[in-house]
Amino acid sequence: MKNVVALLIAAPGSLRRTEAEVLSAARRLADGLGGRVTAVILGAADESWTADAAAYGAERVARVEHAALGSYQAELAVEAARQACLALQAEVCFVPSSTYGLELAPVLAQKLGAAVVADVTAAAGDAATGAVKITKPVYGGKANSELIARQAPLVLAMRSRAVAPVEKKAGAAAEVMKLDVQLDAALAKSTIVERKTEAAGGARLEDARIIVSGGRGLGGREGFALLEELAGLLGGSVGASRAACDQGWVPASWQIGQTGKKVAPELYLAVGISGASQHLVGIGGAKHIVAVNKDEKAPIFQAAEAGVVEDFKTFIPALIQAVKKHKAAEGK
Amino acid sequence: MHLVVCLKQILDPELPPGEFRVDAQKKEAVRGSASLVISVFDENALETALQLRDAAGQGKITALCVGPESAVDALRRALSLRVDEAIRIREEEFPALDGFGTARLLAAAVRKLEPADLVFCGREAGDWHGAMVGGLLAGELQRPFVSLVAGAQRAGEKYALRRQTDEGWETVECAAPAVVSVTNDDANQPRIPKVKDNMMAFRRQIPAWGAAELGVAAASLAGPNAALEFASLYVPKSERQCQVLGGENAEEKAAQMAKKLAEIQVL
Repeated sequence: MKNVVALLIAAPGSLRRTEAEVLSAARRLADGLGGRVTAVILGAADESWTADAAAYGAERVARVEHAALGSYQAELAVEAARQACLALQAEVCFVPSSTYGLELAPVLAQKLGAAVVADVTAAAGDAATGAVKITKPVYGGKANSELIARQAPLVLAMRSRAVAPVEKKAGAAAEVMKLDVQLDAALAKSTIVERKTEAAGGARLEDARIIVSGGRGLGGREGFALLEELAGLLGGSVGASRAACDQGWVPASWQIGQTGKKVAPELYLAVGISGASQHLVGIGGAKHIVAVNKDEKAPIFQAAEAGVVEDFKTFIPALIQAVKKHKAAEGK
Repeated sequence: MHLVVCLKQILDPELPPGEFRVDAQKKEAVRGSASLVISVFDENALETALQLRDAAGQGKITALCVGPESAVDALRRALSLRVDEAIRIREEEFPALDGFGTARLLAAAVRKLEPADLVFCGREAGDWHGAMVGGLLAGELQRPFVSLVAGAQRAGEKYALRRQTDEGWETVECAAPAVVSVTNDDANQPRIPKVKDNMMAFRRQIPAWGAAELGVAAASLAGPNAALEFASLYVPKSERQCQVLGGENAEEKAAQMAKKLAEIQVL
């Protein structure tokens, strides 16, 4: 297998981390296989996506712009992707594990007669055999499974925030082409009638540089007010474990883990979170994990690089003061 | 209105990691003392269907489960939450099922149950996290597929499906028949069965459909994923060493933490 496609679904604005991850996974696999990457941009994305796709290592950028692809629609997107994969003789097609990616992947795979694996954290190629080794966490992150694909075609949905983007090479050149597809608007069986952007406190969790996150140990909504104050000082966002969301202390949209959001901040500060594996699945992309828990045996300490054993009720106010003091000393 | 909900019975994911073992030969988890439960997103799917029926004031719900004999417990749970029918698909007749095979079996069952307006699946099972059966089932049935739904309502002749996106929320309008995958949300937390409904569910007979009833041969279930070699299953080792930030009191520990945050350049 040598022909690797990174399927990007157009979204408003510039290319996001989600697309950078898909391109990076494709680039790494193509490097292993001695193959090449074609970025397929589905729909009317900003012009800058072409140069950005090249900067993330695509040798070729195919723009699929059809009047019917104005904004995402499931059946039309699948059909356009199917035609693009066939035209490009795609052997491996990467898609994001986003709402649209997870909608498209199984239907596309079925139409292409492709094997399909979702929630993939790594795909490594072997140039000698052309085989692809796929790593996918299972059982809520308690175990890893490895699958080997020797036959094309293959559709892989990458888990979000599990892949570190490759280094961006500004000004990298790529062959740019327009790819024509035949689409009948009557294929569309559903309509998106309303879109709402979440009003979140701070940055979107998926894009946040700093996340202060609370769990069952906070004991209630009040504990989260302390975390919000700390996050505000650090310029971060607040997240939560499933236990805290299930208790109704904070909205489900704050949830991080297997059943919530996957995040990749510079700092993940876990407060009163025991560290169940289903939670750790959501923070695999974090660069630094630091934990606060009054139970020194809490499994979160096995995932953290630094930790404090203390009751959050006394520790977080003290940390807020220490951060303020540090900022004052630095003149910030 | 006929709603079909697909359930999977799995090992309780709340089993602590310390008690979790895998059989590297068989490439599956060792059950040990773990209980069997309905996969979490499937519970959300069931709740979403129940709410749709409640709001519509009418309608029938059928629960389907591809599973071994033990899966009748999952179906009884669904009956205790007042689904109308529950049917087990005899997994024991179909060895080595993957997502494609499961989707084909479910499609055969749905065809027997037609008309079925909406088919609900959890977004992914809590054991293998395949996240593919809903979409593959839609493909088998040649119906539209809508992912990550958290609420469904009638909207005239169509259904309004509220779903999570990367940015927030959107509403998808879709005519029946369709297949949806359901994610978890504040709005679809599973309800608790009433005691009398538990007793009622215990008395119900649960039919089991196999190859003969479904008209499906085990050999016809292999899809493209059959070509994948399942090379290994293992419990990853954590190699991280946690640096304990000590001190006499909270203030001293907080000062250590601030220093650490400055070191990693987030402060």
